[in-house]
Amino acid sequence: MKKYEAVIVLNPNLSSKVDNFKKDFEKLLKDNSFNIVKTEDIGRRQLAYSIANHNKGHYILFNLEGDPSKLLEIETKIKYNESIIRHLFLVVKEHNGEDSSLFVESKNKKPEASEVEKDKEDVKKDPEPVKEEDVEDKSEAKQEEGEDNE
Amino acid sequence: MSKYELPKKFDYKDIDILKQFITETGKIIPARVSGVSASNQRKVTKSIKIARFLALLPYTDMHQ
Repeated sequence: MKKYEAVIVLNPNLSSKVDNFKKDFEKLLKDNSFNIVKTEDIGRRQLAYSIANHNKGHYILFNLEGDPSKLLEIETKIKYNESIIRHLFLVVKEHNGEDSSLFVESKNKKPEASEVEKDKEDVKKDPEPVKEEDVEDKSEAKQEEGEDNE
Repeated sequence: MSKYELPKKFDYKDIDILKQFITETGKIIPARVSGVSASNQRKVTKSIKIARFLALLPYTDMHQ
């Protein structure tokens, strides 16, 4: 028996189906005689860099106990699961009973209702405003240049 | 006196603490500059590298 900390980054488009995924994943863990000590659903977060063309990811953190030999089977299953864009299993000496800072941060943000829906809109709309701003900036710059020339 | 906020235990999830130890371009600040002890520097480095892998911190500012 070893103690593990697992972080899983899900495809942000599947945020609404997180509960289904969690059930499936917990079942997979239990089938491999893994014991789930704690789950933290951190939620959607901005990624520091894009992974597989996603700018956001749904983070879930697990505290686990289980057999190292079974971990390989779990990892192969994760590898072929397309809804997982990144995962990491870490061996830890002791489980930290406290909530992680990421979880606390997401809790403080969550009171805003229907954030998920807003996020979806943001994702769709985001690319356009940026372009517009760029265009504006350039046009302004050109105008300034023109003025300078005059 | 150190100007850095050092926790009792370093964790890859404490992004705000780790952010103190990277430059604007995302590089890890060397211990000879920050003055962090060798032991702490090893822990900082390890945590930052894990956080980078999970896209919690950037590798560089050149990400598209």
